[in-house]
Amino acid sequence: MSALAEHEVIDRPILDPALAPPFPVAALPLLRNTQLRGNLAHAIDVIQARRARLVEEKTDWQALRAAASQIKDEALENLGALLEQFEERCTRAGGKVHWAADAAGARKIILEILREAGVDQVIKIKTMTSAEIQLNPFLEASGVHACETDLAEIILQLGDGEPSHIVVPALHVNRGQVREIFARRMGIEHLSDDPKALTEAARNYLRQKFLTVPAAISGANFLIAETGSVVVVESEGNGRMCLTLPQTLITLAGIEKVLPRFNDLEVMLQLLARSATGERMNPYTSLWTGVTRGDGPQRFHIILLDNGRSSILARKTGRQTLRCIRCGACMNACPVYRQTGGHAYGSVYPGPIGAILTPQLEQMRHAQSLPFASSLCGACYEVCPVRINIPEVLLELRARVTDEERKGLSRFFDPMYIGLRAAHAMFSRARLFHAAQRAGRIALGFFTRRDGWIHSLPGVGAKWTVSRDLRGLPKQTFHEWWQGRTRGTREQRRYRA
Amino acid sequence: MSVSADSRKQILERIRSATQSSAPAANTNGGTRQYQIRGKLTAAARKDLFVERLREYDAEVVECEPEELENAIAAQLEASGRRRFVAPPGLPAGWLVPAAWKITGFEWDIDHDLPAGEIEKAEGVLTGCFCGVAESGTIVLHHSAMEGRRIITLLPDWHLCIVRATQIVETLPEYFDRCENRGEGSKGTKVQGNAPIGEVPGLVTWISGPSATADIEMTRIKGVHGPRFLNVIVVNDGDQGSGAGG
Repeated sequence: MSALAEHEVIDRPILDPALAPPFPVAALPLLRNTQLRGNLAHAIDVIQARRARLVEEKTDWQALRAAASQIKDEALENLGALLEQFEERCTRAGGKVHWAADAAGARKIILEILREAGVDQVIKIKTMTSAEIQLNPFLEASGVHACETDLAEIILQLGDGEPSHIVVPALHVNRGQVREIFARRMGIEHLSDDPKALTEAARNYLRQKFLTVPAAISGANFLIAETGSVVVVESEGNGRMCLTLPQTLITLAGIEKVLPRFNDLEVMLQLLARSATGERMNPYTSLWTGVTRGDGPQRFHIILLDNGRSSILARKTGRQTLRCIRCGACMNACPVYRQTGGHAYGSVYPGPIGAILTPQLEQMRHAQSLPFASSLCGACYEVCPVRINIPEVLLELRARVTDEERKGLSRFFDPMYIGLRAAHAMFSRARLFHAAQRAGRIALGFFTRRDGWIHSLPGVGAKWTVSRDLRGLPKQTFHEWWQGRTRGTREQRRYRA
Repeated sequence: MSVSADSRKQILERIRSATQSSAPAANTNGGTRQYQIRGKLTAAARKDLFVERLREYDAEVVECEPEELENAIAAQLEASGRRRFVAPPGLPAGWLVPAAWKITGFEWDIDHDLPAGEIEKAEGVLTGCFCGVAESGTIVLHHSAMEGRRIITLLPDWHLCIVRATQIVETLPEYFDRCENRGEGSKGTKVQGNAPIGEVPGLVTWISGPSATADIEMTRIKGVHGPRFLNVIVVNDGDQGSGAGG
């Protein structure tokens, strides 16, 4: 826990993996924030109950999950060819396809397009990929104001907050807090905290922007290689506004978003809304193909972003991470996320998927604490609509982090390393093992209270007892009991004879 | 843009080396589709399910016989309390000027590339659709002349959509089959004025209820930026009992 002392308790969450403190440190202030935890628990309970009901009524759910993971695996195996096919079809339909190897490249391309269009303001549909490349602060610094239009994103943008969930980014904010932010930033004097009134305020606030701002930025839920089409899934209609009204549309999409065929959507669209928001279908899903004359933006740019994804593609176990369709079901199911919320993960991708995605996107240079932020209970795997075996990837990443740490000579000064080497020697020799058991019983006896539990240990042992109790060792091991028992029966037999 | 060209080469090279070891997967055409493709309901039950699911989304739904459609439209327009409507260019004239209806004074803007400002002034919009999906209560627009440009079903606050019972399929895969003309479903359907069946559409909007959000405490609020009111007239045009959706 020495890390605790190195970092001051933070007020504003840091969602940049390069700068964020390790998970246990970032989690502490959140665990003490009872308001936040209350908001979180309420919202998660609501989504979980709705999802469970709608998944239950779907009798072919497991077949859909199997099909979805198959489609995604096929897409990933053929990724290069599918991206080229997408590029060719999208270009033929009037779109302009750009490629960005990293975040800086993507930001540069977007700014160039906006400069060319001569705009100083751009409207945005919620896109986690743009948060990943930290687009908003970059545009702001370059003189272009990026105006978020998703209700949750407005709450965060106006309230100077950070997203804590990939589907419901302002999950941690309650109605009273939203009322305060809107009243202050929109200059509305009398505003009730009724979600209906708050939604109305957002509608009025944005209407004029939708009609006047000439450029928009979106993400993409799916790219269709067969047709060169892009699909965006949303609820509020702000997405449709951004996709339809401006003259210039810029879409930023991770390279893993591509699907081979149009009718692959018949699987994905059945899984996504049920998993994400617990609805049979989200209110609006839009598909467009390049530019349609007379309908919607007449200039369409799409940026295909790598930013670490191709390195994940190369890993045998890790590759399945790229199946993710960003539904957020894993975070809603996760007992760890439920306690800390999203900010502890130090990345725009929180929860179990964040714990495997972030360190891999960072190519294991940052966020090494995240694979350990899990109890490996497997609830995330069970709900994942594309069957990502998150616990399996977590274990692989833990091994990679540990291997990395154990490379140099410094490992000989690591108590954990020395302890495990000693355990290895001990567990492989019965005589040593029994001796250690006897020694341990005597040593731990000093710390075992009358109730049979150890409540605190000194030194390395405190790492365990700081948050958990440990059962004291029993007076007799199984071996000892067994030997006593067989001896006894032998004596009985002799007696009877 | 040279940045982009360099990146393209770099990304494709990285992908190639990452996928080298895995054998190039055959185009499996979506695998074996082990999930439910065909619906099991009769035409009447399918229509009932569609209506029920739409109502669960807070959409207003009425049903009528084909000969009653114009009256039903007029009744809906009247009950909406709105006067100014926009319509796509491909609607039957009878839908717009309900001759049998005594009350006049509806103002129609036919969308021949109307500017956004004009469409914004309309209080409502009337359209057809390509398809209805019963299981999820979804209306699918392909933006043909009967459904109009995307903007007209977006800016007005009130959307009245006409769905013929023969346009309703039970499952989402049945809709996709209808698009690609793979299933038997497309034969005998009376889809009028829509994009030709058998072609993958270039523009699609799937609408499931009025616009909504649950961003504040997961409380579902109807009507954020899209139309706050979705009204649907289901026209019973099918021969009862025969499966139109396949």
